[in-house]
Amino acid sequence: MTLVRWNPTRELASMEIDRLNRMFEDFVGGVRTWMPAVDVYETSDREYVIKAELPEMKREDINVTFEHNVLTLTGERRGDFDANNGTYHRNERYFGKFARSFTLPATVDGNRITAAYKDGVLTVRVPQREEAKPKQIEVGE
Amino acid sequence: MSAQWDMMRELSSMQDRMNRIWGTMYDRGREDVSGHGAWLPPVDIYETADKEIVLKAELAGLKRDAIDLTVENNTLTIRGQRQPDEAAADAQFHRSERVFGAFSRSFTLPNTVDAAKVKAEYRDGVLTVRLPRREETRPRQIAVDVQG
Repeated sequence: MTLVRWNPTRELASMEIDRLNRMFEDFVGGVRTWMPAVDVYETSDREYVIKAELPEMKREDINVTFEHNVLTLTGERRGDFDANNGTYHRNERYFGKFARSFTLPATVDGNRITAAYKDGVLTVRVPQREEAKPKQIEVGE
Repeated sequence: MSAQWDMMRELSSMQDRMNRIWGTMYDRGREDVSGHGAWLPPVDIYETADKEIVLKAELAGLKRDAIDLTVENNTLTIRGQRQPDEAAADAQFHRSERVFGAFSRSFTLPNTVDAAKVKAEYRDGVLTVRLPRREETRPRQIAVDVQG
């Protein structure tokens, strides 16, 4: 395996290009797809926390799967706007399907993943395997 | 981290400017929008069959008491502040797409809206504001007897 130094600006640049493209698609009337914003961080006790912004969704419409160390969030959101009897004045929100996947390190424990949905935010917690946690080793004489 | 926020703000304000340029096509120029802050929550505004105006703002992760909604001089303003998780303070970020901080968005309401009857609720990260029409501005069906 080759180790590649993580370059935050590159990651950022690709993300911004993605958003910019979406913005332009909006203007030219292209197909709009929903890409919910996601934060992924590792806490001080080495637990992975994935937070996805999924406002106004039903719990049962959110799917979380973990397979081959890839955590995948999928779902579908339908708006309550009735196109036959209403008029849009402003339409900035995205509806429809979304899918986002994240590769997690091999050290995580896939059997202890928990997920909660509150105030429109999905929080997935992925703990590390016990043996993967750093251990303090006593130095003997 | 702060570099990203600036970038997003820049991008957001650019989007806002572009929206204004394209206003007539994009928004039909019905309401003036001025927004500023670290993040601009997406907002939908639509009119229902019974001429009620519904505004929906995505404020995922906000607590109800962190949202401030005012209607003054036909201008509806939503303000708030989203705080990052306390647990995230000493965390190592692998991906950071969510934007935190203060926001403010204002919308000019049509004269037909009854500001005294504005209702708002917050649920699952979405603020829904319902603005009913004033009774006297509702279209009325007038029967005309045609005599011949």
